Amino acid sequence: MESRFTETHQKLSDDGHESECDKIVKLLDLMIDGEASVEEQSYFNTHIEECVPCFESHQKQKLLKGLVCGHLKRVIVPESLALSIKARIQETV
Amino acid sequence: MSEQTGKQLSKEEKDARFEAELLPVLDPLYNFAYRLTLDEDDANDLVQETYLKAYRFFDYFEQGTNAKAWLFRILKNSFINEFRKKSKQPAKVDYSEVEGYYNSDDVEGEGGVASTTDMRTESVQDLIGDEVASALNALPVDFRTVIILCDLEGFTYEEMAKILDIPIGTVRSRLHRARNSLKEKLEKYAKSMGYNS
Repeated sequence: MESRFTETHQKLSDDGHESECDKIVKLLDLMIDGEASVEEQSYFNTHIEECVPCFESHQKQKLLKGLVCGHLKRVIVPESLALSIKARIQETV
Repeated sequence: MSEQTGKQLSKEEKDARFEAELLPVLDPLYNFAYRLTLDEDDANDLVQETYLKAYRFFDYFEQGTNAKAWLFRILKNSFINEFRKKSKQPAKVDYSEVEGYYNSDDVEGEGGVASTTDMRTESVQDLIGDEVASALNALPVDFRTVIILCDLEGFTYEEMAKILDIPIGTVRSRLHRARNSLKEKLEKYAKSMGYNS
């Protein structure tokens, strides 16, 4: 299936009124970032129990966040950096 | 004479406090600087500049408040005000370098070890990391920034709004657009890895 989530929802929005799935899209980020209110969480969770596309979008969004926080390598701070910061601060009056 | 001694003592105290409160943020701060500039030397300069500014304004910093967010904000502003002007737009260069590297056949050809199972698991992890990094680096800096702050550093929307000096609503919409953009870049790759939509 080539269906792209974002496109699907743009189509839905064309009707003029916001569908339940549209509201869910708007909550996706809040949910994965832990910023949704209790009401938003329960609205969201109830909806994705019954709506497969929204359930999948949620999985995808979580995966995306996981890719960044779990796989992006951290760069190693050069050892000299802390020392030179301390040195420059000591020089500062 | 006594005045001078007093001054020196308070400077020592100030320095000690400064180091205790702000130096622990060095690692995330350097990583943020690196993700913004995509250059280790530039990141180095930017972080030093940030700490020197922080030192100058340390009297305004309230002990025990969010040191990390404060430093990130200073660094972000330094990056915008001074750094970005002289930066040589490294994003595209770096991305194409990485891209070229992974497209070249020499990589697999020479090693020859990549076929053993252990190596493979490890290199798949590395490869995902590299792919995520390339996709992220190819995003416009504003998009890259919100993703780093949120997903890598775990800042809340409210903290991000303060760091970036924008309303929370803008944080949300920018994050949403940034993720769509990142998703698009990774989608092709994800499919090749078996994450089908």
